Amino acid sequence: MPDSFPLRLAILRVLVVSLLVTLAARLYYLQVLDQDKLVQTANRQHVREVILPAPRGAIVDDRGRPLVTNRSSLVVSVNRSELLAEHDQGAAVLARLAKLIKVPAAELARRITPCAPDVPKPCWNGSPYQPVPVLTDTTPDVVLKIAERREDYPGVTAEAQTLRQYPYGSLAAHSLGYVGPVTQEELDAAAGRAASGRPGGPALHLNAQVGRSGLERTYDGDLRGTDGVRYVTVDNRGTVLGVQRETEPQRGDTLVTSLDRDVQAIADRALAAEIARRRTEIDQNTGRPYAAPSGAAVVMDPQTGRVIALSTSPTYDPTVFVGGISRKELAQLTDERAGVPLVSRAVQGQFAPGSTFKLASTSAEVMSGRASLSGSYSCPGSLLVGNRQKKNFEGQGIAGAIDLRVALAKSCDTIFYGFAQQDWYSDESRVDGGQKAAEVLQRMARAYGFGRDPAIDLPDGEQTAGRIVDRAFKKGRWDANKAQYCADARRGYPDVADAARRSFLTRLAQENCADGWRFRVGDAADLAIGQGETTVSPLQLAIAYSALVNGGTVWEPRIGRAVLGPDGRVLRDLKSKAHNKVPVSAQVLDYIRSSLAFTPANGASGSVAFAGFPLDKVLVGGKTGTAEVFGKQDTSWFASWAPANGRARYVVVAMIEQAGLGARAAAPVARTILEGIYGLNGTKAAFPGGAAPTAIPKVAGNTAARSDRRSPTGTGTPPVPSPPASSPSPAVTRSPRRPRRERREAPRRRSRGSAADGPGPGPAGRPRRRSGDCAGGRGSPTPVRPDPGGRVGGCAPGAGEGREGLGKGGAPT
Amino acid sequence: MSMIRVRPGGSRGLPPLGRTPLDRGLVGPGRRDSLWWRVDWVIAGSALLLSLVGALLVWSATRPRLLEAGGNPDAYLERHLLNLAIGLALGLLFAAVDYRLLRAYAPLIYVASAVGLVAVLLVGSTINGAHSWIVLGGGFQVQPSEFAKVALVAGMAVLLAERRTQEAAHRSADVPLVLALAAVPMGLVMLQPDLGTAMVFVFTVLGVLSLAGVSARWLLGLILLGVVVVFGAVRLGVLKEYQIERFKAFTNQDADTLGAAYNITQARIAIGNGGLLGTGLFKGTQTNGKFVPEQQTDFVFTVAGEELGLLGAGGIVLLFGLLLWRTLRLAGRSPDLFGRLVAGGVASWFAFQAFVNIGMTLGIMPITGLPLPFVSYGGSAMFANWMAIGLLLNVHARSREVERG
Repeated sequence: MPDSFPLRLAILRVLVVSLLVTLAARLYYLQVLDQDKLVQTANRQHVREVILPAPRGAIVDDRGRPLVTNRSSLVVSVNRSELLAEHDQGAAVLARLAKLIKVPAAELARRITPCAPDVPKPCWNGSPYQPVPVLTDTTPDVVLKIAERREDYPGVTAEAQTLRQYPYGSLAAHSLGYVGPVTQEELDAAAGRAASGRPGGPALHLNAQVGRSGLERTYDGDLRGTDGVRYVTVDNRGTVLGVQRETEPQRGDTLVTSLDRDVQAIADRALAAEIARRRTEIDQNTGRPYAAPSGAAVVMDPQTGRVIALSTSPTYDPTVFVGGISRKELAQLTDERAGVPLVSRAVQGQFAPGSTFKLASTSAEVMSGRASLSGSYSCPGSLLVGNRQKKNFEGQGIAGAIDLRVALAKSCDTIFYGFAQQDWYSDESRVDGGQKAAEVLQRMARAYGFGRDPAIDLPDGEQTAGRIVDRAFKKGRWDANKAQYCADARRGYPDVADAARRSFLTRLAQENCADGWRFRVGDAADLAIGQGETTVSPLQLAIAYSALVNGGTVWEPRIGRAVLGPDGRVLRDLKSKAHNKVPVSAQVLDYIRSSLAFTPANGASGSVAFAGFPLDKVLVGGKTGTAEVFGKQDTSWFASWAPANGRARYVVVAMIEQAGLGARAAAPVARTILEGIYGLNGTKAAFPGGAAPTAIPKVAGNTAARSDRRSPTGTGTPPVPSPPASSPSPAVTRSPRRPRRERREAPRRRSRGSAADGPGPGPAGRPRRRSGDCAGGRGSPTPVRPDPGGRVGGCAPGAGEGREGLGKGGAPT
Repeated sequence: MSMIRVRPGGSRGLPPLGRTPLDRGLVGPGRRDSLWWRVDWVIAGSALLLSLVGALLVWSATRPRLLEAGGNPDAYLERHLLNLAIGLALGLLFAAVDYRLLRAYAPLIYVASAVGLVAVLLVGSTINGAHSWIVLGGGFQVQPSEFAKVALVAGMAVLLAERRTQEAAHRSADVPLVLALAAVPMGLVMLQPDLGTAMVFVFTVLGVLSLAGVSARWLLGLILLGVVVVFGAVRLGVLKEYQIERFKAFTNQDADTLGAAYNITQARIAIGNGGLLGTGLFKGTQTNGKFVPEQQTDFVFTVAGEELGLLGAGGIVLLFGLLLWRTLRLAGRSPDLFGRLVAGGVASWFAFQAFVNIGMTLGIMPITGLPLPFVSYGGSAMFANWMAIGLLLNVHARSREVERG
């Protein structure tokens, strides 16, 4: 046998070498060729992003005084998806936590369960991946216990968070708005924007708080700031081993508003006091005390379009939204019986303006040539409009021929009925002749800013357009609803018990079915005196009267004055935009102004409320309005400005629902506000010298401290718990992982259970307070029921139709 | 049939001993009797270097774990160094004992290891699914299967070498005899079950048989038989569930990254994280994060991969290459069949075990639970490895003696 040993040894050598070469090649592949992918995977494993929340910017008033600031609070949160990864779905953890924070475990379990139609309340309204705050303002002791025994509390974090603080409670609540936790939809949208490079404010993180309402929402991008990110290295159980790198959080910018804390407080107090007083007075018409369920006051600078105060009653303290609002609290804020405090009456309220609307009527009739400044007109007690007698206010006429000055000052309705009737006949003949109706009054009303969003710097859903009825509007509504009208007419309301009401509703439906599209002469007459279906918001009225006194400029008002960087530098100087000029000559504007000034010669209707007011020092001009509302007491309006004998500095509009005469309820509110501004009759002047500050205030330093560098409790290293006064600590966005255990994710519920559904603090949670048409009107918290003529309400079939011959007569002023 | 020629110069084509540059560099003239001259310093040195690098890697891997547990962070390092010291002593013993005496003792070692393996089955403890350890108490435990590797190599070498010296012996009986010899420890190891060690036995037996001149048909037949046995074992359910899972995870590595494939995935991530130069000793984020399980034993190579990078990890592969090359060179130069088979057997053992272990961390071999020779933490393995080095040095010294004449 040949000696095969050397050959065999050589084969073995080759084999061994090839094995080692294989290893070397594979090593080269992993460490050089495939390295990037593996390093990324490694980073995903051992690097965690810890979000260092940026403190939200403060909101300050025109003199730099804080309206919204931050405070730090120790918050216990529970991450549900992490709990579910436990063997017992976290039952043991919840039981331990319940004992520690003295909240029943069942209650805790309910609170962290995402809301869904079949889930009993209270439930979690936010993203299912988001840690649910279960206890705010806890003690350092609790935080320490949770931090020390991480293994006992997986998924539970206890850390300092920045919370919004409202030093003056409900002051300017509706303007300031509130913040709420970011929703999954918003996170996705932000990620989409970031991916496509579109701007959309600073990046959003899972625990972020975003502006949900008011200025907080409009200026969210400025206020939010940029969260910092700390990249920590962690081990396989999520324990933090060290900090790799970090970016500092950049606190949000400061929003300076034109709101004045003092004037706002004066307005709030005046409104509340007057409402309380009206509730003790007996309404002569009904024999009951005035209900006065709500009211509003607006103070605006007519020269700049800046809003100085926006007051609404009832109001609320936005503090209820801090750290998450409970179902019960939210229900109270949206409760009809409580007057839906969440809704800003000043901006979203829609009420028939009554005689305050004659500003638009007078402008329209004079500019169209229907009326003349030098003309004389009779003011009878009633006027036949169409087939119906429409009365002057309280049926009283004014003897003899009067000019427009008296018609305005004494608020004669019949003169305006006459003009409107002539306009209507003229328009009808134009329509018959194939021309378009001129609709001079409606066009003038729109020029004054009625019937469209006021374009104030509040979120779109939080301002209303009101309603100016014209032919197109009625036709459109009829087209949309005629099937319903005719069906109701055929059926005849069998489910209405009262026979008289049933027959009334049936006849209404029949008329609507037949010619509900028609813009009747009665509609035109109602519009001329701000009645019928005409609605405006107090803010819109302030805009219109600002135009009257500033030479015709219709502002898009602004509450925001400036955006200041953290260093106090002015980043943006916010200015009101002039939307348009009213097509009214200076002569006519001057005529209207002087007619409404509270000079002894005028004897204007509102001046009775200013008895004892030093008009010689500050001359006031103003127009009252008393709007009749079917089934309700009269809406009291007062639109005023001062000084009326020079460059007007302030327009003050007040409104109280179901409170009687304009001069009795609304005018005293405006008077108190003006007294406070000027410091008259023993009050301290809010604006010494009567001049609002014009310069952007210096906001030195910042009220809230920046986020500190403490390590989060969520990742193991126990932080030093601090008293609630200290600065906030970061939150961990991604939970530590347990590698060998399968992590079950909470089921993704997008469409249900998120804040987008329920009436939660989410964006859609807030009911849209716009009752533009009949269908939307029923749910409105401030139903529009302006029609004295027998309509059932804003949402009755055939609202506004067929009341001639059906309803009671009478024309309010 | 011919006698095995014993040539002092080794196999054909190689220069005689003492003429290579390495030999000249290491061995000065006039010191040919010295220990310096008798020892193969490349074998001893590469094994020692591997052991010392292993000490660093074990230290780095266990430090964060020990710190977290609140213990002495250097505990494993100290034990590893102690194991190395004992291993060196054992290696010295195996190297110093008389060459002929070694052949006489080999059966004794074989029997002792077989007894150890039986004892494991009777009184052993199960660690990580394998019933492989005898706990001695006081924190000491013995893994007899490691010693069985040395015993099998020595046993086979003695058996075959003794038969060749007897003229009458039939070569055809070699294979059954060797198989019978190997069957005992292999069967006992399979009962634990320790598939990895059994595979080492298979590869070692194949290596020894092929160097012993067994016909190629036998060898191919044996390989075929092995394949059939493995298939049968899987089919008949002899293998444990976790072993099958490991293999499945190997064939489809991305399927279940948190289950059976977790170890493979984590090992690969750690190695990839090292890149060319590594993160630096003690600075590996995956290592410090304890992401790789069993990192001081089976997955110690991942520490090298992450913290020392391609240079360090490649260096370890290179050291193994040096050790194996030198061992196979020794096989070629050995004066007798015993020496050849010992060197060839040890080379087969180390080569296979190193390849499977490193290949497992690189994701090209299934997880078998084999430690990396010299580098991994573990006393029994360290002792057995150094015993094998002792054997090699003894063979080397013998070849020098024969060369000197």
